[in-house]
Amino acid sequence: MKVTHFFATAAFVLGMAFPALAQDTAPAGDAKAGQTTFLSVGCWQCHGTVGQGGATTGPQISGTALPYSAFVQQIRVPQNAMAPYEAKILPDSDVANIYAWLKSIPASKAAKDIPLLANQ
Amino acid sequence: MSKRKDAAEVGRRGFLKGAALAGAATTIAAPLSAARAQAPAAPEKLPQGVTAGQKAAESEKLPAGAEHLIEARSGSDFMVDAFKTLGIEYIAAMPGSSFRGLQESFINYGKNTAPEWLTCLHEEISVAMSHGYAKVEGKPMLNLVHATVGLQHASMAIYNAYADRVPICMMTANIADATMRRPGVEVDHTVQDGPVITRDYTKWDDSPGSLQHFAESTVRSYQIAMTPPMGPVLLVADGSLQEDPIPEDAKLTIPKLPRFATAVGDSAAVAELAQMLVSAENPVIFADRGVPGPNGVMKNLIALAEALQCPVVDIGGRMNFPNMHPLNQSERRGALLAQADLVVGIDMTDFWGVTHGYRDQLHRTSRPLLKPTAKTVSLSSASQTIRSNYQNFQRFSDVTLEISGDGAATMPFLVEAVRKLANDDKKSAFESRGKKMADARKASYEQSKNEAAVGWDANPISTARLTMEVWDKIKGEDWSLVSGTQPASYWSRRLWKMDKYYHALGDSGAYGVGYGGGGSVGSALANRKYGRLSVAIMGDGDLMVSPSALWTAAKHKIPILMVMHNNRYYFQEVMHLQHMANRHLRDPHTANIGTEIANPNIDFAKLAQSMGVYAEGPITDPAALGPALQRAIAIVKKGEPALLDVVSQGR
Repeated sequence: MKVTHFFATAAFVLGMAFPALAQDTAPAGDAKAGQTTFLSVGCWQCHGTVGQGGATTGPQISGTALPYSAFVQQIRVPQNAMAPYEAKILPDSDVANIYAWLKSIPASKAAKDIPLLANQ
Repeated sequence: MSKRKDAAEVGRRGFLKGAALAGAATTIAAPLSAARAQAPAAPEKLPQGVTAGQKAAESEKLPAGAEHLIEARSGSDFMVDAFKTLGIEYIAAMPGSSFRGLQESFINYGKNTAPEWLTCLHEEISVAMSHGYAKVEGKPMLNLVHATVGLQHASMAIYNAYADRVPICMMTANIADATMRRPGVEVDHTVQDGPVITRDYTKWDDSPGSLQHFAESTVRSYQIAMTPPMGPVLLVADGSLQEDPIPEDAKLTIPKLPRFATAVGDSAAVAELAQMLVSAENPVIFADRGVPGPNGVMKNLIALAEALQCPVVDIGGRMNFPNMHPLNQSERRGALLAQADLVVGIDMTDFWGVTHGYRDQLHRTSRPLLKPTAKTVSLSSASQTIRSNYQNFQRFSDVTLEISGDGAATMPFLVEAVRKLANDDKKSAFESRGKKMADARKASYEQSKNEAAVGWDANPISTARLTMEVWDKIKGEDWSLVSGTQPASYWSRRLWKMDKYYHALGDSGAYGVGYGGGGSVGSALANRKYGRLSVAIMGDGDLMVSPSALWTAAKHKIPILMVMHNNRYYFQEVMHLQHMANRHLRDPHTANIGTEIANPNIDFAKLAQSMGVYAEGPITDPAALGPALQRAIAIVKKGEPALLDVVSQGR
């Protein structure tokens, strides 16, 4: 694991704030296939294998609150330093699957319910 | 350079000749005994010539024309005397024949105490150990590195120390006189100008031509290393100077090491800065990489921040500010910069970098994070030793006011000036600001805890879980985090309670991979005498550059808990590779090629065990981590190193 500050100053922020967008409906996706794709095309590198995020890489995206159109927009033409995923290497169907998987991830336990975090 | 004259005949060549002749052995034995008997018990008296050796030889009544193959005192003894005046505790070194005279003198003449010899298996590790040591002690230990090849091995670690502004005293060796070099290897290991390869990232080097010159340069080098900005220094101990007898007529003296008074910022500029701080509505103070060790900036930075109720962002080159202090706003950097009307950087490494955003896409772009009207002030001594070649001085930052002076040394004057200017009206405004900061700090802390909860039971183990399992076991101890905090997503800085300078020692300085093993062991060495529990969260790629640091820790009973953050990748690189493949619209599944450290997986527990270190792993079940930590800490408390191999998330 090589250490630099590169990502500390240029976070791959898939979950960053977007301008208000019209509500949109995500296409039906295959969550299981989405997980497989998430772990094979590198999404996990910055966002963790369960979408938990990392302080120097990218934010939490499990259970993402992004509207689908904003999600796609960020993947295709990232506003920040995130690696761009154009349709040639990540088809729309894969994006829909990943979105479905991220939305399906159950909320984690709250910090107050985890003794090592609650009893600091 | 040293002239061998008559002494050359009883020097290295004479020894080899004698050793090659079986019949000479008896001749050597008796004088050696006599010489040992007359060797001084302690180096209080300076060696002043070879009278004792000559007398010893004479007393044996050697046959006429026989070679004198012994000497009572050689130049290397005097070199040891010079170093002993500096109070250096340890030497870390991989052995090298070019300094054989010095090594023997340190061990026998110097009694292998103050400094004590530590065996390392690579010069990159020995220098990294000194780097880590200095970050705890605030002063250097000594490295000996073999001529040419040893210095080449050491060079990356030296660059790290230079970029991290840490003092290290190093010696290498050489034989300047070509007629005194043994054919073959010794010639390969001599050089016209050895230090040239590291001159761009050492503060000073010298190749003394006499013992008196050596003594003066020894003291000078220590003084230079310890003057902020601190840094590594390098002396060349010529082989002839080491091994030749001390000239009979030598009048050698060792200069006294002066007490140091560090340069502070100009008083008028400090007064101006105080006025700016008191007048600002939204000031922010950044702190990064001042003098290492107990004399850092923390105490007075707390005083300054509290006097102003001003937020502080700790960049983390050192432990600059208690992380749970209400004014520690390190996690709110972006929001603070956007509002700031004054940004003060203390001992910054990269002021431009913190005041600008940078987008690494096909077309690289940057943007200022500050309002155009915001003022910026830098207080640092770093520009006093800036060099041209290596670019670790970072991009130029056009600050409003540049104050050249050491941050820690200047801070008391700045605090005093601020207190004088802060009238009751100001104090009321400051209190209001402080309350907002305290609320924000509380909120960011709660947010960090909630973020840590996500993926808590994940497998591979999340870096938050790893970090907090460690914290649970050390929080009741006097502990010291001797590794950097970035690879594990800064969780320790976000969630542990850190308020002592040794609670977080920062990273390698120049991000040269391989610092972790030696650096952590060096810091643990320094912590040992204070009874602190040293903890390292260690990257797998980093440790594999310098794994034999484990052996040195075991050999010298250096207690340290090493917890592997084993994500089985050069993780920064896999992200870069992914980005390049995506940019080129090529196969997005190949970023693991050349970046993965798996298939086969490295068994760090076996690796450590093979070098005498207690170890467990690989640990993949998050629930198994706590009990394993407990067992490992029990070993560390007995004074030994221990390692846990934890298979972890990337970051």
